[in-house]
Amino acid sequence: MRNFWLLARHEYRKLVGKRSFLVGTLGFPLILMVVMAAGIFISVRSDPNRPIGYVDHAGIINPAVSPIIEEGETLLALRPFPDEAAAQEALANEEIQALMVIPAGYPRNLLIKVFYWQDTPGEAVYSDFNAYLRANLAADYPANLQTRLQDGSDLVVRAADGSREFNSQNIFNFFIPFIAAFFFVFVVMGSSGYLLQVVTDEKENRTIEIMMTTVSPGQLIGGKALGLLAVSLTQAAIWVATGIVAILIGSIFFETLRFVSVPWSLLLVALLFFVPAYAFIAGLMTAIGSAVSELTQAQQIAGILNLLFLLPFFFIALFFTNPNSPVLVVMTFFPTTAFMTVLMRWGMSNMPVWQLVLSWLLLVGSALGSVWVASRVFHTGMLRYGQSLKLKDVVTAVRPRRVSGS
Amino acid sequence: MSTVLISSVRKSFGRVEAVKDVSFEVFPGEIFGLLGPNGAGKTTTIRMMLDIFEPDGGQVSVFDGRITEAKKQRIGYMPEDRGLYKDLQLEQTLVFLATLKGLAESEAKSRLEGWLKRLDLYDHRQKKIQELSKGMQQKAQLIATLLHDPDLIVVDEPFSGLDPVNTRLVKDIIEEQRQAGKTIIMSTHQMYQVEALCNRIVLIDNGRTVLYGEVSKIKRDFSGNAILLEGHGDFSQVPGVLEARRQNGAWHLALGSDANPQEIFRHLARQDDVTIERFEIAEPSLDDIFVRVVQEGKQSREADHA
Repeated sequence: MRNFWLLARHEYRKLVGKRSFLVGTLGFPLILMVVMAAGIFISVRSDPNRPIGYVDHAGIINPAVSPIIEEGETLLALRPFPDEAAAQEALANEEIQALMVIPAGYPRNLLIKVFYWQDTPGEAVYSDFNAYLRANLAADYPANLQTRLQDGSDLVVRAADGSREFNSQNIFNFFIPFIAAFFFVFVVMGSSGYLLQVVTDEKENRTIEIMMTTVSPGQLIGGKALGLLAVSLTQAAIWVATGIVAILIGSIFFETLRFVSVPWSLLLVALLFFVPAYAFIAGLMTAIGSAVSELTQAQQIAGILNLLFLLPFFFIALFFTNPNSPVLVVMTFFPTTAFMTVLMRWGMSNMPVWQLVLSWLLLVGSALGSVWVASRVFHTGMLRYGQSLKLKDVVTAVRPRRVSGS
Repeated sequence: MSTVLISSVRKSFGRVEAVKDVSFEVFPGEIFGLLGPNGAGKTTTIRMMLDIFEPDGGQVSVFDGRITEAKKQRIGYMPEDRGLYKDLQLEQTLVFLATLKGLAESEAKSRLEGWLKRLDLYDHRQKKIQELSKGMQQKAQLIATLLHDPDLIVVDEPFSGLDPVNTRLVKDIIEEQRQAGKTIIMSTHQMYQVEALCNRIVLIDNGRTVLYGEVSKIKRDFSGNAILLEGHGDFSQVPGVLEARRQNGAWHLALGSDANPQEIFRHLARQDDVTIERFEIAEPSLDDIFVRVVQEGKQSREADHA
């Protein structure tokens, strides 16, 4: 058991210490930071000290009417102008940050002209002016209707059993199953991709003969698989932490992010499927790595296999329109597509529990089979330095052996 | 008690019988030569001995029983196909391999320093394996084999890729290990190294044991049909001699199967035109024995097929 942990630690340290790992791992948070900073910059670019100018040809805005706002919330001030020339001059002098011209025909065509100087105005300019406009348009209605009209419409989508509900506020939650599915599949495929590389390296480096006289094949592959899984989980943890920080910071500026909630049931299903899915693909990658002689050859075969794992991605529209369609049900039971399909169906629809259980059992069975095949092919293929196994050799390796006396 | 006992083992890969019937025993404190032509079944035999392959039949016993994970830590193996992690530093690699063999990391580092200095690799310890020369990698492999102080050492072609200075160094190290009571199995095609180092040998040909025993006894068994002569006169026309050739100032006379060295000596002693300064029964080299046994085996197989 000591060697199992030593191997896991060795693989972990070896990979985490590489520059490529640091670049790959820190690259995502950096890109996210840049994207967020750009978003926040656009959002907060409005100058709170400069009002929004407007010229009201339609006679809609009454300066005495203010929108209903929450406690602590502030709006940009409005500054009326009698004509466009005066307003344009004020805009050129940077006295106002944007100019809204409400044409006389606004009630008919609902069009407003927007003028700004060099930089596009921030989100607050549009949302605050809309709030003023909505409040003035609803000013003649009773108080309760005014409130309702100012709040605007909110489409609520509920699952039939009431287990899930999405509205304009928590819309981000709708995408979490997709994000989670891609995320977990990435971790599984990332780890198994590392494993493929490590097994092929072991064969190319011809270290296997020494290793096999030191540790058992189970310890060797198990230790490496665990170490590489830890690498992917480290990478994933850094990204998740970055995502959480991004959501926390983003929620200050973007309202939708304030309503993000953790989908615990989805996480539970993900964890349930994670181990057999990883064992399944790790077994396949070990078998491929043992059977071929070069990494490029292994990657070509693994690339085809990866397509099978990402197959649900090509049916993504179906998950929205008909998550219980026969195609997706079949993919739920097929071992390569089960993990991703289950995560997305479970997160988005009311997937029958029997399908979940059957899918899990089939995946566990496939994982055991995959690891068994991998151990046979590993034993045969790893000592054939510089040679690839033919299909016949693989079949021979997998075929049950005669009982031998020694 | 023997360290290794191989008894009538056999192993096939599909239709190919790699090992048909190999038996030998190796004891502590000896350097044992595992010899044979290419493809004879040596590597397969070693792999069965080290539990990499399961034999189809026969018995393998290491340290008095079946090989276990614990026993593997008492074995140092330098395979013919050398391999170390090319993109790792030398020191890091050797410490890692030693810890897998049961050493604590601190102990491995401590022992490694001495080995690196002795094998002139200390200044290269931070280099990646791929940056080392072939000879350096060979020495690094030897350190990986010996760092955990194994009781059974199996080395396959330990001198390949080494210059004469390093060959001498490796020979000294192997001899030291023998003196320390370790069991050493050495597979090589360099027969003069076998003669210099090995106490006993087994010769495998076509998957079978064809010669087994003490080197000196085997050489004695193959002597008697040749004599070495020094003196004056013509020794080319001696009755019973098949071939006479000059070799390093002496005469090497190959005798026919019916000829007797004593009769040859008596015959020469009676001759007035020759003087004898040295007369001895020529002991064949291990190289000669190897070639003869393997060729006879080949001819025998060809005859059987015909």
